Amino acid sequence: MQAVRRDPVLAGTIAIVIVSLLLFIVWPIYAVLKESFISQQGLFTLDYYREAFRQSENVRVLVNTLWIGLFVSLFSTAIGFLFAYADAYLKIRFKSIFNILAILPIISPPFALSMSFIMLFGQRGFITYHLLGIKDANVYGFAGLAAVQILTFFPIAYLVLAGLLRQIDPSYEEAAQNMGASRWRIFRTVTLPLVVPGIANSFLLVFIQTVADFGNAMVIGGNYTTLAAKIYLQAMGNYDVKGGTALATILLSISVIMFVMQKYWVGEKSYVTVTGKPSRERQLISDGKVVWPVGLACFFISAFILLLYILIPYGSVVNLWGIDFTPTLKHYEYVFSLGLKPIIDTTYLSLLSMPITGILSMIIAFLIVRKKFFGRSMVEFTSMLSMAVPGTVIGMGYILAYNGPPLVLTGTATIIVFSFIFRNMPVGIRAGVASLRQIDPAIEEAAQDLGASSYKVFTSVTIPLIKSAFFSGLVYSFVRSMTAVSAVIFLVSASYNLLTVAIMGQVDVGRIGVAAAYSTILIIIVLAVTGALKLILGRMGIAVADM
Amino acid sequence: MSSKNVLLKNVVKIYKGQGKKDVVAVNNVSLEIKAGEFVTLLGPSGCGKTTLLRIIAGFETPTGGEVYIGGENVTQITPDRRDTAMVFQSYALFPHLTVYENVAYGLRVKKQSESRIRQSVAEMLELVGLTGMESRYPNQLSGGQQQRVALARSIVMRPSVLLFDEPLSNLDAKLRVHMRGEIRRLQRQVGITGIYVTHDQAEAMSMSDRIIVMNNGVVEQSGTPQEIYLTPASEFVADFIGMANLVDAVVAEAGEGQGIIDLLGAKFRISSRGDLRSGEKVRVVIRPEAVALAGDGGIPAVVETSVYMGSSQDYRVRIDGQTISVVAYNPDESFREGDRVYLRIDERKLHVVRK
Repeated sequence: MQAVRRDPVLAGTIAIVIVSLLLFIVWPIYAVLKESFISQQGLFTLDYYREAFRQSENVRVLVNTLWIGLFVSLFSTAIGFLFAYADAYLKIRFKSIFNILAILPIISPPFALSMSFIMLFGQRGFITYHLLGIKDANVYGFAGLAAVQILTFFPIAYLVLAGLLRQIDPSYEEAAQNMGASRWRIFRTVTLPLVVPGIANSFLLVFIQTVADFGNAMVIGGNYTTLAAKIYLQAMGNYDVKGGTALATILLSISVIMFVMQKYWVGEKSYVTVTGKPSRERQLISDGKVVWPVGLACFFISAFILLLYILIPYGSVVNLWGIDFTPTLKHYEYVFSLGLKPIIDTTYLSLLSMPITGILSMIIAFLIVRKKFFGRSMVEFTSMLSMAVPGTVIGMGYILAYNGPPLVLTGTATIIVFSFIFRNMPVGIRAGVASLRQIDPAIEEAAQDLGASSYKVFTSVTIPLIKSAFFSGLVYSFVRSMTAVSAVIFLVSASYNLLTVAIMGQVDVGRIGVAAAYSTILIIIVLAVTGALKLILGRMGIAVADM
Repeated sequence: MSSKNVLLKNVVKIYKGQGKKDVVAVNNVSLEIKAGEFVTLLGPSGCGKTTLLRIIAGFETPTGGEVYIGGENVTQITPDRRDTAMVFQSYALFPHLTVYENVAYGLRVKKQSESRIRQSVAEMLELVGLTGMESRYPNQLSGGQQQRVALARSIVMRPSVLLFDEPLSNLDAKLRVHMRGEIRRLQRQVGITGIYVTHDQAEAMSMSDRIIVMNNGVVEQSGTPQEIYLTPASEFVADFIGMANLVDAVVAEAGEGQGIIDLLGAKFRISSRGDLRSGEKVRVVIRPEAVALAGDGGIPAVVETSVYMGSSQDYRVRIDGQTISVVAYNPDESFREGDRVYLRIDERKLHVVRK
């Protein structure tokens, strides 16, 4: 590894990366911490925490958050495992649906399932009111929120575990079978122990997502308030920014602890070596005693989720959900009469942040994997940390940090773009790191040896070799920007409003049809742009991995 | 093109160990490689030979000392601005580029005209026998062909110094032998200084003008293949190069540059580079082919193992608690395990190393 000081371009790039991470990840978090620990008079204080915990309501909010995190993570991991097992081990036909299930929560507004749940189980819910005739059904609260979060987040566990199960060398299980073990025994004594680290990993990842989930908590949480929602309500509703930051710090600590556990404790403990090449095709299980129960469970869950998503476009074309199901386009007319600004703004800002996110994440991935420099582990930790920091915390940090000199960004499009970039980078970085690790570093050394500068090496060799990860990162960052809500809800203004925030506003006032119309438009834009990207890249011979 | 000399002055490379001890990969190495010379750095894995090569290429910065190429101090110069070209162990061909584009890569970086590039690449591919393969991708080539592309890609740059990092270790045995000759031919043809890292002594012996034997980060010996084999400077070199029996002996009579030693109960007259002292204990290198076995007349021993190797018969024989390897080429008679035999040692082939 060559010394950085000999290479000014490289040194400059590293400096820019470090400064931007400090500016747009560390500083906002610091701003939240500072605000919560420093009194109006500028002195250190714990008053805001004391105040926060004096209210029994806030203690309940904390307990609520931890409890639902635990509950949702347990169930999501279990269902995720079921799907992963079916995917990797069973001979069933409808596996292609699994991928759709994994993608749907990403390409739709993060609270889409809450809307569908309200349509099905609300006071005028199709199932509760029309089919069961319940007059005062209440979907808001723990049960509704937990169900929605489980269905939204279990695909995370599914993806982690399916990846792991597929990597298991079938010879382990064959060896056990050869020694006379039954299928159940093999599952219990070989397969399951091998994926224990993966199970812990999924649990923590889902936990981080659940406690940070703002959209569903706001839409369907009802009286079951969680920290993510409470922070927003406290700061923006009660104008108690100090109290909000104290709560934000508590939420942040929970997430960071989980993140550190996931990354440094569980992450290291994998038995399954990832070689990149599966050793041999697994003989899929076709025994009906296993396939039927697991297959049926997966089938019903899949069908139910698909139904929930279909309800959104359907809900956008009926007159008044729950009362009058006559087809109509009036919600779309209403959306267009309000103006296309949020739609155009969202798409424009997402497109704008897309290439920056993509390039920055590849540069960071490259630096992490290939270069040794002072501060490398800080770059790695900080850039991945932004994935674990709850959106509400970072959103609050952004308004606190950039409200005054030296950087005044409040109310601008810039602040939204920066939040998109630094929130969406980790996925690109992870993809970049994974694909760089598969590439012999000698290839880049050869280029440099032939006279290419570090810039030239990066553009002519590194990027072409990791282009698939690069473009996946691009697509993903666009999609995430389009559907982001938790951080940007703090950052939108009269001049820049975003689709997801507009949708939440409509749900809030009960115009579910309008919200559904907006959501449908959002999903269509996402599908159109990603479809176009994939088509163009496909023509160029570049495969974009599914997200 | 002009080949240049390479000069290393007190080069040290220390890797910071994580929390534990630092690792000294290269320990104060000074050496010169003359312009046009083909030198191998030979040693076991971990001896620092690859690190030294990477320091010359510029991939590693030495912790101390200086590197000169053609008289210019290049210690702080990045690889892209050094006049060296390296052939990598893994070939490191650009998988996204064709054979033609791989070879043309460095020329393009140099911003040569398209017509010159076309000409150079065509010449080069002809030289390595790959004409007609221009539009293939690396994964459509055999290992040997990939190796040739890697060679072509480096040589086409007309560097002053060509560096080889165990370039043949991924080839099968037959091809390896063939490519040795090929590389040597190319290097002679273009007259570039060559520095070649390997742990394979046969490669080193067959290709080099000079071999530099390294161990634990230091140079153990530098010399022609003959010097290295016949007069190893240390026990390590004797043991690492070829087969060697290292046997204790006592100097019975010391003379100027020669002497008589007491070895395995018999007296031998040997020559020695350093002065011997009477009564001094020394180690003697006995190459297995310096010993002949006979049915009578010599040092008595017992055959422990006897293995037929085709062109030779390999023995291990036992003499008062010591085991000695003996190789007999084209043997008239062969002995069997348990046979009593007599050793006849060619004293001209004995070599003394200091303890």
